[in-house]
Amino acid sequence: MQITRNLPNRRKSYFQWMLFALMLVLVLPVIPYIYADNSESSPAVISVPNPGSDLWREVRQRDYPISSSTQISGINSNVLIDSEGQKWREYRIEKLIPYGAYILGAMLGVFLVYFLIRGRIPIKGGRSGIQIPRFTQFARWVHWITAISFMILAFTGLVLMYGKYVLIPLLGPEGIHIPANLSKLLHDFSAPVFIVGLVFTIFTFMRESLINFKVDTMWFLRAGGYLGGKHPSAEKVNAGQKLWYWSLVFGGIAIVASGLVMYFPNIIQDRLLILDAHIIHTIASIFLISFMIVHIYLASFGVEGALECMTSGYCDANWAKEHHDLWYEEMQKEGKVGTRFEDQQKSEVFGQSQAADS
Amino acid sequence: MAAMKFYCDAERCIECNGCVTACKNENEVPWGVNRRRVVTINDGEPGERSLSVACMHCSDAPCAAVCPVDCFYTTDDGIVLHDKDICIGCGYCFYACPFGAPQFPKDGAFASRGKMDKCTFCAGGPLADNSSEEFRKYGSNRFAEGKLPACAEMCATKALIAGDADMVSDIYRKRIVNRAQAALGKAQQLRQRNMGSAGDMKGKVTN
Ligand code: SF4
Ligand code: SF4
Repeated sequence: MQITRNLPNRRKSYFQWMLFALMLVLVLPVIPYIYADNSESSPAVISVPNPGSDLWREVRQRDYPISSSTQISGINSNVLIDSEGQKWREYRIEKLIPYGAYILGAMLGVFLVYFLIRGRIPIKGGRSGIQIPRFTQFARWVHWITAISFMILAFTGLVLMYGKYVLIPLLGPEGIHIPANLSKLLHDFSAPVFIVGLVFTIFTFMRESLINFKVDTMWFLRAGGYLGGKHPSAEKVNAGQKLWYWSLVFGGIAIVASGLVMYFPNIIQDRLLILDAHIIHTIASIFLISFMIVHIYLASFGVEGALECMTSGYCDANWAKEHHDLWYEEMQKEGKVGTRFEDQQKSEVFGQSQAADS
Repeated sequence: MAAMKFYCDAERCIECNGCVTACKNENEVPWGVNRRRVVTINDGEPGERSLSVACMHCSDAPCAAVCPVDCFYTTDDGIVLHDKDICIGCGYCFYACPFGAPQFPKDGAFASRGKMDKCTFCAGGPLADNSSEEFRKYGSNRFAEGKLPACAEMCATKALIAGDADMVSDIYRKRIVNRAQAALGKAQQLRQRNMGSAGDMKGKVTN
């Protein structure tokens, strides 16, 4: 692990932990394709026609709505046959699952290649030893609660989506029960945490994520300086981070809303609504998980000096100069370079116990 | 390879719900779970028909295709069964099944589902045949004793028939032929009454 050599021990463990989590999230979806061939060579199903198939075809093809009733209570229990589920199943198996894997796999590939070519982006001027307060303790708590719950949700969600293709070959048909059941439980129980985290995230990081058209377009035109060339100007957060924020706002709301529909299957009984919610949930999740890959990569081992902003709350002055020049100038003007959170207004509620933490 | 199927004869079903009751009693299914239900179309109108629905034991089962833990299996007799020890209660099978066969006990947190329960063709589950654990989880295993599902055996009008697809088809075909014959006979009678002599198309139509 030569890239971590110059990190203090504590950073190193963070780094390794994140690397591990990232690898898990990234590698899993790719595995199905290693096993794909085995499943295709299984013998074709011998189809025995159902004696009642004509009858059922007729019942299904009648013009809706036919009035039908039953003595049995239950979800859609008065519906004889409903082929909506088939469209959903085909969409899930033929589109969502493979394309989701392609997207996540491609994302992993891109960053692996990028890492191999560019390596870790160092602080060019070296560490100055002067620190600038960047994220308050409150902001960091909000960030990590949301981040950890999101990663749990992403991971357990991927287990539910790809576990069948990955875990069954690895653990055998019975072995999947424990991880899958645990995943479902964890998914259900981290969801409320994520919802709270998301709401706080939206409000905590909103101000710095407001779009500054000129600066942000320029940032995108130069691809953030990641593909070479001069590093474009950036405010406290750069345009890419702003995009991540707004994706999280809209994607997160879509995920939460569709998730809530599926959360109470015994209360919300509209089958079509649940099927649509499932599809929205999956698409929004794949989108956010791929963005999460970008975020984790760039904010941890991709860029030297980035992770500490969220762990200690402070960043190095040279790092700020290189990556967030406009913000650095602002901080300089306000005389905050080299200060601690507790030097600032003592009345600031969430910045007080800073020293103890860092 | 046999393929066990149900067939419900809409011309015979009288919506007595005997099959539903027989199933509940035979398998002692949890409260709120009905493996079988009777649906009536156009209730109280001309052309009213009823059908008894449960798992159809599909040859290429959608529930099995969509299950994220692959807990379904098809027996040599073509019965679609599932393993409750593997099921995680996600409900995907319910969404994929065209017949609404999978059922869920409502006992989880956040109004979520328990483990899926559905018609087993009275063939139990993956556990040892007729063990008490099998009975508790999957209900009765009449199939291991060489019996047909309780619902079909209970059906008073023999509308619901169960068994090997070929035999069920034979019974059904005979019924169709008989019905066609009866209808033809009826038409013959009508024609005789209305047109005078049989086979003579020159008679005067009176109505
Ligand atoms: S549960 Fe539904 S989809 Fe599965 S075999 Fe039975 S009828 Fe077919
Ligand atoms: S509820 Fe159980 S049987 Fe149905 S799809 Fe989910 S895990 Fe499979």
